Amino acid sequence: MGNFAALIHNENVKIYSRIRTWIMLIILAVMSALFPALFYFTSSDPSTTELWNSFQTTVSVSFFLNTIFTVVIASDSVAGEFSWGTIKLLLIRPWSRSKILLSKYISLILFSLLSTAVLIVFGYVSAMIFSSSSGLGGASVSDWSPAEYTFLGILCSYAELFVTAALAFMVSSVFRASGLAIGLSLFIMFAKDIIAAIFSPERYEWAKYLIFTHMDLHGYLLTDKGPGGSTLGFALAVLAVYYLIFMLVSWIVFRKRDVAA
Amino acid sequence: MPNTAEVVKPVASLMGVTKKIGSKTLVSDLTLDIPPGQIFGFLGPNGAGKTTTIRMMVGLISISRGDILICGRSIKDHFEEAVANIGAIVENPEMYKFLTGYQNLRQYARMVPGVDKKRIHEVVELVGLGQRIHDKVKTYSLGMRQRLGVAQALLHRPKLLILDEPTNGLDPQGIRELRDYLRRLCQEEGTTVFVSSHLLSEMELMCDSVAIIQNGKLIDVKQLKAVGSEILPAGETLFEVSDPEAALALLGTGVLKDGGVAVAADREAIAELNAKLVTGGVKVYGIRVLSRSLEDQFLEITGGEGIG
Repeated sequence: MGNFAALIHNENVKIYSRIRTWIMLIILAVMSALFPALFYFTSSDPSTTELWNSFQTTVSVSFFLNTIFTVVIASDSVAGEFSWGTIKLLLIRPWSRSKILLSKYISLILFSLLSTAVLIVFGYVSAMIFSSSSGLGGASVSDWSPAEYTFLGILCSYAELFVTAALAFMVSSVFRASGLAIGLSLFIMFAKDIIAAIFSPERYEWAKYLIFTHMDLHGYLLTDKGPGGSTLGFALAVLAVYYLIFMLVSWIVFRKRDVAA
Repeated sequence: MPNTAEVVKPVASLMGVTKKIGSKTLVSDLTLDIPPGQIFGFLGPNGAGKTTTIRMMVGLISISRGDILICGRSIKDHFEEAVANIGAIVENPEMYKFLTGYQNLRQYARMVPGVDKKRIHEVVELVGLGQRIHDKVKTYSLGMRQRLGVAQALLHRPKLLILDEPTNGLDPQGIRELRDYLRRLCQEEGTTVFVSSHLLSEMELMCDSVAIIQNGKLIDVKQLKAVGSEILPAGETLFEVSDPEAALALLGTGVLKDGGVAVAADREAIAELNAKLVTGGVKVYGIRVLSRSLEDQFLEITGGEGIG
């Protein structure tokens, strides 16, 4: 019945018809464009500003914002329908709840890709304008070329965003509360380093199965051994298990839930 | 009057439907067939289980026991096929406020096959939203949202239209229009309409049949037109007169009621009684038939408790 692409289209309309979405994208673009300029003009000798260095710092800062905005979209995806009451009209169409949830999730991922692209394009162009030489950036201590190193760094940041967004999506679907979803996701985003430091896998064997230990994958760009001696493969496996649990819980709860609000 | 319900396959069958949440039973063993081509009322006081039943019919909540068939398909086991026959408003028609009415309709149009722009315009015309359809829903009045709600429910030409308290928030003119186009839908497109309400008088004007529910249990199913025709010939008639006591003495029959005299009389008798009163010097201000309203019957059936 019908066409699944139409469902994704519907979800996209809901995301991009809201002014809020555009404000978030504009803020992200402006921030990404602003940072390289800031680095350029605040450095003691602007002629030493290096492209890759400037761009990498911009990405690492802007990605916080990118994650927050994606979490905001993720949190509203399901919880919004409940608080608006529109869930009642959405779920009485000839579509299974699984497919409706899937269309929501896909539109969320599409948004995160768009916002990441905005971040990269504005950040890179601005870094090109406000730099004097290309430089090596963080790649100086590894075998990667600066472009490769930067790209892989973005990939690591995106993986972190991806898992955080999945968590927000789950909380949104389970608790139908967007505030809780945003709060919890941001808490984990900022507290994960502290938690990983307290429950360090060096001290506690079980800590290497915690999600916090593995959310930041950037370390693997420089060394093969991660926290507690785990490998990149192990870290990815742990993340994948958590991700699957988040998705499974979202789907099971959403499918079974009595909609009576 | 032949009972068509028994020969024609029902559009919806509720079979021993029960909904329990924890130890609380919201709907208990409800069995009901909704015959096609009717406006079927679902009447009960607040909290009787009307909305719970409707939520089960459209698959928003699970059914604890029993099953519901929509056009012969189980809403439990074949949700997508069953629900395709339904258009519904459950409680208030909530829409995406940041979209226009038209964009809202487009959302639902995309989710079903065969609804084109022409059909959307048709439905917009039917509910009378006109040019306002291109305004954002947040600028709509409750009545306009109600219309938009009906429009989204009708888009895919459902066989069964389920409306939960559709007259909520409508002004008298809106209620009348709703009644008229439900009637038109029913007659012209053969749509079966299942409409819940606690407004008894409203049901009486709108529905062909009505099921009465109280405390989660089905109490009675009545055919309204049949009820009306039984009552009219042998109905009670109220004479509004200047001096009720004198009138009562003159007539020698009836009871004092509402500042007049109520008498059981048919057409001919009414004329004779009137003549008697006039010649006897009692002024007659009005004569009206007191058909027992659904409200009286409803109060009688439900014992007059728990209304409102």
